[in-house]
Amino acid sequence: MSGAANPVKPLEQTGHEDPDKLAEFEQHIANGGLIEPGDWMPDAYRMGMLGMAEHHANSEIIGALPEGEWITRAPSMRRKLALTAKVQDEVGHGQMLYRVSQELGKSRDDMLRDLVMGKTKYHNCFNYPAPTWGDIAMIQWLIDGAAIMNQKTLADGAYGPYVRTMNRINMEEAFHFKSGEDMVLTLMSGTKSQKNMCQDAFDRWWPVSLMFFGPADKPDAENKPAMKWRMKVEKNDSLRQRFVDRFAPAAMDLGLIINIVTKNEQGLVTSASPDEELVLNEETGNWSFTDPDWDEFWRVIRGNGPCNAHRLSLRRFSYEQGAWVRRAIGSGTTSLPPAA
Amino acid sequence: MEAMLTNPLAVLILAHADDKLLLGHVQSDWTGLGPLLEEDIAASAMAQDDLSHALILYQFLGERYELDSDVIAFEREPVDYMCCDLVTKPDEFDWAEAVVKRWLIAEFTGMGIDRLSAIEDKELAARCNRIKPEQALQIKHLQAWIKRLGTAGPESQERIQAALDRLSGLAGMLFEVPGQRLPVNDDFCCGRDEMFKAWDASIQETLSQSNLKASFALPERSLIGGRRGTHASHFHDQFDELTEVRRVSPGASW
Repeated sequence: MSGAANPVKPLEQTGHEDPDKLAEFEQHIANGGLIEPGDWMPDAYRMGMLGMAEHHANSEIIGALPEGEWITRAPSMRRKLALTAKVQDEVGHGQMLYRVSQELGKSRDDMLRDLVMGKTKYHNCFNYPAPTWGDIAMIQWLIDGAAIMNQKTLADGAYGPYVRTMNRINMEEAFHFKSGEDMVLTLMSGTKSQKNMCQDAFDRWWPVSLMFFGPADKPDAENKPAMKWRMKVEKNDSLRQRFVDRFAPAAMDLGLIINIVTKNEQGLVTSASPDEELVLNEETGNWSFTDPDWDEFWRVIRGNGPCNAHRLSLRRFSYEQGAWVRRAIGSGTTSLPPAA
Repeated sequence: MEAMLTNPLAVLILAHADDKLLLGHVQSDWTGLGPLLEEDIAASAMAQDDLSHALILYQFLGERYELDSDVIAFEREPVDYMCCDLVTKPDEFDWAEAVVKRWLIAEFTGMGIDRLSAIEDKELAARCNRIKPEQALQIKHLQAWIKRLGTAGPESQERIQAALDRLSGLAGMLFEVPGQRLPVNDDFCCGRDEMFKAWDASIQETLSQSNLKASFALPERSLIGGRRGTHASHFHDQFDELTEVRRVSPGASW
C-alpha cells in the first residue's frame, strides 16, 4: 500500500565512476531502457535504488500492522475475508520488495534488523492511529488511492526488477482501493453513527494523505540524479495536486466535509473547520487547498509521531519471537541488542 | 434460529463452522507478525481458508433455515456457539503453540468434513467437497512444519514438545458432544469413538517421525464444555472482539 513517495534522499555522484560507462548508462536510461541487476550502474544509483526499495519494503510490512489489528473486529464475513487477504497482500508486497533489495546487495536479515533498530525508515503515514473501523476504510480508500497514484509513476522508472514489482503490486492495490471505496460508500449510506465514524476518520486521514507524497521537491529536481536516472519520474507537488483533484470532489460527492484540523499528541482530532481554501479553478481544473502541517510531518518523520514507538516495538517483538523458527530452518538471523 | 439450533445435523455442522470461524479469527492475529515473511503469508492463507470454510457452511445452513450467514456468524448468543475452547485458547504469540494447536485442530476438521460429506445430502456433500482439498493442503503444510521443527535441533524440538505438553491435555475438547439444547447423544456425532481413534493414529504417526511424544484422551460424553455453550473466558474475549464493530450500529449494513 505504501508507495515510496518520500524516501529518495539527495544522491551525490561521487565522480569516481568511469565517465564512458556513466555516459552509456545515462543514455540507456534517456532512451527509455531498463537497468537490470547484472548491468553496470553507478554506486550512487545502486545505493539509491536499494534505499528506495528497502524503504518501500519496510513500509509494506509496517503498513500491515494498523489494518491487521482490525481483522478480528471486521463486521461481516465478507469484510473479514477481504481485510485478511488485503493485509496478506501487503506482506506479500514486502516480500517481493525485499527480494528486489536483496539483489542490490543487502541481506533480508540485515534489512529487518535495521528496521527494528530504527536505522532505516518506513512511510510516515503508518505512524498515525487507526482507532475505528472508519480508519480502515480511509486507509484503503485514501492511502491506497495515493499509493496507486504514486506507484503508477514509479512503474515508469528505470530499474527493471522494481518496475516489474510495481506493476504486480499496482494490480493488487486496485482491488484494495475498490474495497476501500465500497467501505466508505457503505458507511456514508448507513446510520448516523456510521456516517459520524466515517467523517471522523476522514478528518484524521485527509491531512495525512496530503503529506503522503512528501514535501515539495527542489526547483531543479529534474536535473538531479533521482529524476535524471528515472528513480522517480514525477514531482511530489504534482502528485499531490492530482490526488486532490481526484479525491476532493469524490469526498464531497459522498457527503464528506473537507476540514482543516488540529490534533493532539495521540493523533486524534481536537478541532475541525471547513477548508476555506478548497476551490475549483475552472480554467486549470485544479482544486486549491490548504497545505498540511509540515512541522508535524517533520516531527513525525523524526520519530515523534503518535504511533512510531508502538509500530516499531511490535515489529521488534515479531522479529525476536520468530528468531528461533528462522534458526531452525537455517535462515540467517542473529540476536538483537537490548531494546532502548 | 431455534430450528437450526435444535437440529442434530445443523448442530454438528455448526460445531465445525464455529471452529473454523474462531480459528481463522484468532489465527489472523499472526497476519503481519509471522516468524518469516513466507510463513506469514501462508498462515494468512490458512486463516482465509478457515474463514471461507466457515462461510461455506454458514451459507448452507442459512439456505436451509432462511437465515443470513452473517447473522449466524455474528449474532447468536455466546451459549449457542459450538466451537471447542481449544480454538480460542491464546497462544501468546508463541509460534510453537500456534502451529501445534492449528495442526491438532486441522487433522480433526479434515476427518469431520470427510464424515459430513458422506451423509446422504448432496448439497452438503458438494459444500464439503469444496473444503476438502484446501483442508488437505493445510494438514500437509502443518505436518511438514511439525516434522521440520521437531527434528531441527534441540531448541526447536524442546519448544514444540513443550507446546504439545501444554495442549495435549486440552485436545480432547475437539471431541466434546456439541449443542447445549440437545440431549447428550452420540448418534449424531458420526461415530465419536471411532473418529478419535483415527485422529489419534494420524497424530501419532506424525509425532513418531518428528522426535516428539504426546498422549491424548477422549472426554466423557457427558462433559459440558465449549461445544455445549459453557465457554472459557478467552472465548468471551474473542466474541466481544468479533462483534465489537457490529454492535456500534446493530442491524446496519457494513
